[in-house]
Amino acid sequence: MAAAALRPAILRHIRLLPTTVAPLAAAAAAGQPHAQALWLTRPMSSHDAQLTRDEVVDRVLDVLKSHPKVDPSKVTPDAHFEKDLGLDSLDTVEVVMAIEEEFKLEIPDLEADKIDSMQLAIEYIVNHPMAG
Amino acid sequence: MAPRLKLSGIQRQALALYRGFLRTARLKSPEERQMIESVVSAEFRENAKSVDRRNFVYIEYLIRRGKRQLDQLKNPDITGLSTLRINKVSSTP
Repeated sequence: MAAAALRPAILRHIRLLPTTVAPLAAAAAAGQPHAQALWLTRPMSSHDAQLTRDEVVDRVLDVLKSHPKVDPSKVTPDAHFEKDLGLDSLDTVEVVMAIEEEFKLEIPDLEADKIDSMQLAIEYIVNHPMAG
Repeated sequence: MAPRLKLSGIQRQALALYRGFLRTARLKSPEERQMIESVVSAEFRENAKSVDRRNFVYIEYLIRRGKRQLDQLKNPDITGLSTLRINKVSSTP
């Protein structure tokens, strides 16, 4: 009775082991002990290649255009958030947060407070090694 | 990277708090996130409009209160911000 109940439990363990442990072990062996952690934090990133400047510009433009307060026709790579797009400081926080999300990174408060234009946003992303 | 508008210390605190709320909202489910974002955004905008910018004592109080609420929201068991509506104080002290 007891052995019959135990059997599936034991089998389940034996079957699970290779599939769950193997990729991790392989990653560790390849000198990437944090491979899984990286994958977990950047699930949508297809690869880690450096972004091109044009790609960054396009995606920052798209983020700005999709903000509800922004007139998409006014968004240019030289636009200033406040002067050209009419955003206030709270809107700017939202926009910078949306840019963070788009490029899967976190901009520290001290840096984020300085980003007030397309140019600064693009510059920050282009120079950020983790932007994806 | 020269800041355009010279943000005062208290402005930076308020913006950092707003950023903190938006960051925490990201950790919740999509519906909760949207709800939190709209409540928090409305609260900040309302106060930005109605509170006298020289009323430092009151603004500091609001920031302290916001920090407490943010700490509560960071608890993974907390899913919403209904307390914000209940606690909503009149903006004229």
